[in-house]
Amino acid sequence: MIRKQPWFPIAYMFCVTAFFSSIVIGLTRLTSERVEANEQLAFERAVLSVLPGMDVDKMARSEIHKTFTESVNAPDASSNGAYIARQNGQITAYALPISGQGFWAPIKGVIGIETDKKTITGIAFYEQNETPGLGAEITQAPFRNQFEGKVMASEDEPINIRRPGATLGESEVHAVTGATQTSNRLEIIINTALRQWRHPNSEKGDGDSR
Amino acid sequence: MKLTGSENKKLMIEGLWNNNPVFKQVLGICSTLAVTNLVLNTMVMCMALVFTLSLSAATVSILRNLTPHNIRMMVETLIIAFYVIIVDVLLKAYWPEMSGNLGPYVGLIITNCIVMGRCEAYGNTNPPGKAFMDGLFNALGYSFVLLIVATFRELFGMGTFLGLAMPYFSGPYWDKWIIMVMPPGAFFMLGIVVWVFRSIQAVREEKSS
Repeated sequence: MIRKQPWFPIAYMFCVTAFFSSIVIGLTRLTSERVEANEQLAFERAVLSVLPGMDVDKMARSEIHKTFTESVNAPDASSNGAYIARQNGQITAYALPISGQGFWAPIKGVIGIETDKKTITGIAFYEQNETPGLGAEITQAPFRNQFEGKVMASEDEPINIRRPGATLGESEVHAVTGATQTSNRLEIIINTALRQWRHPNSEKGDGDSR
Repeated sequence: MKLTGSENKKLMIEGLWNNNPVFKQVLGICSTLAVTNLVLNTMVMCMALVFTLSLSAATVSILRNLTPHNIRMMVETLIIAFYVIIVDVLLKAYWPEMSGNLGPYVGLIITNCIVMGRCEAYGNTNPPGKAFMDGLFNALGYSFVLLIVATFRELFGMGTFLGLAMPYFSGPYWDKWIIMVMPPGAFFMLGIVVWVFRSIQAVREEKSS
C-alpha cells in the first residue's frame, strides 16, 4: 500500500503545500494591484486633506486620485522635498511628507504649508499604529484642526506641542491627553522635518536627519 | 454521516459554555488582550477567527484519513496558515483601514492555540461536518467573551460603543479610565469575566450533582 511507503509523508507534504500555496499565490497576485493602489491612495488622500480648499471626506476613490494627479506636482529642486500644489500654474501650497518613530510603530504623515513658507494649512497621517483612543487620536479632527493657521516660529523648534490646558502661542498646539509619548515623538518628527525643509543644506550629515 | 439536531446542540453547548475556549480552556488569551480595546476591531477579529477555525477544522477532518500521523501537525499548521493568509490578503485589499488597525494580529491567528487545539482535539478524529460545527461554536464561544471584554473596555476607557458616544460615559461626569484602553485593562477585564462565568458554572454544577 502506498501509504506504508517511507517516502509517502514527504511526497504528501509536498503535494499539500504545493496545492495550498498556489491558491494563496494566485490570490495575492489577483489583489496585489489593489493593495498597492490602496497604499498610494492613503498617501494621496493625506496630501489633499492638508491643502486648503479640498474636501477629501466627500471624495470617492477615483476622484481623489484624479484631483491629486491634476493639482499636485512631485517635489522639485526648489521645494526641498515637499509636494507642490498648483492651480492654473500658480503655486497654492506645499505638502511636506514627514515620518519618524512613534510610540509603537513608525508614524507617517503630511504637513501642508502656505506659499509664505511659514503658515501651516493642515496636518494628516496615513500610517500609524498608536494606541487606539490615546495616541491614535492624533489622526482625529480635534487634534489635527489645531494646526490650521499656526505660524512656524523662526527658532529651532518651529512647532511646539504643549501639555493640555496650557495657554498657546501662535506656533503651539495642545498634546493628546494621556498620550505624552506619542505627542513628544510627534513633536520631534514634525520639527526635524520642518527644520530640514527650511535649511536643507545646513543639516546635511546631522544625526537628526534620518 | 449526517448531523442530527441533538448532536449540533451538544457541540453548541460544549463550545459556547461547558468547554468555552476562553474561560474554561483558557486558550487564545494573547489576542484577547491585544484587540479588545475597540468593539469594531474585536468584531472583525472574531469574524476572522470564526472563518479560520471552522474551515480549517473541516479541512483537517477531510484529510484526516490520508494524512500520515507523524506529520499531521505540520499539515494542520499549513492549513491554518492558508486560511489566515486569505483573510489577511482580503482585508488588505478591500478594507485597508481595518487591516491597519489590526496590524499584525490577523497574521497571529495562525498561532492562536484555539485553532490548533480544535484541529488536534476534534478535527483529527471526526467527520468534516461535525468538525466544522465544533470549530464554529468554539470560535463563537471565543467571540462572545471577547465582545463582552471589548464592550466594557471601550465604554469605560473612551465613553463610546462602536465609535458612537454613549450618554453619561462620554459626558463630563465620567472620568475616562485610561488603563482600560491600555493592554493591562484587558487583563483586569478578562480576569473579572472568567471569574463571573466560572462562578456561574460552579453554582450550576453543584445544583445538578
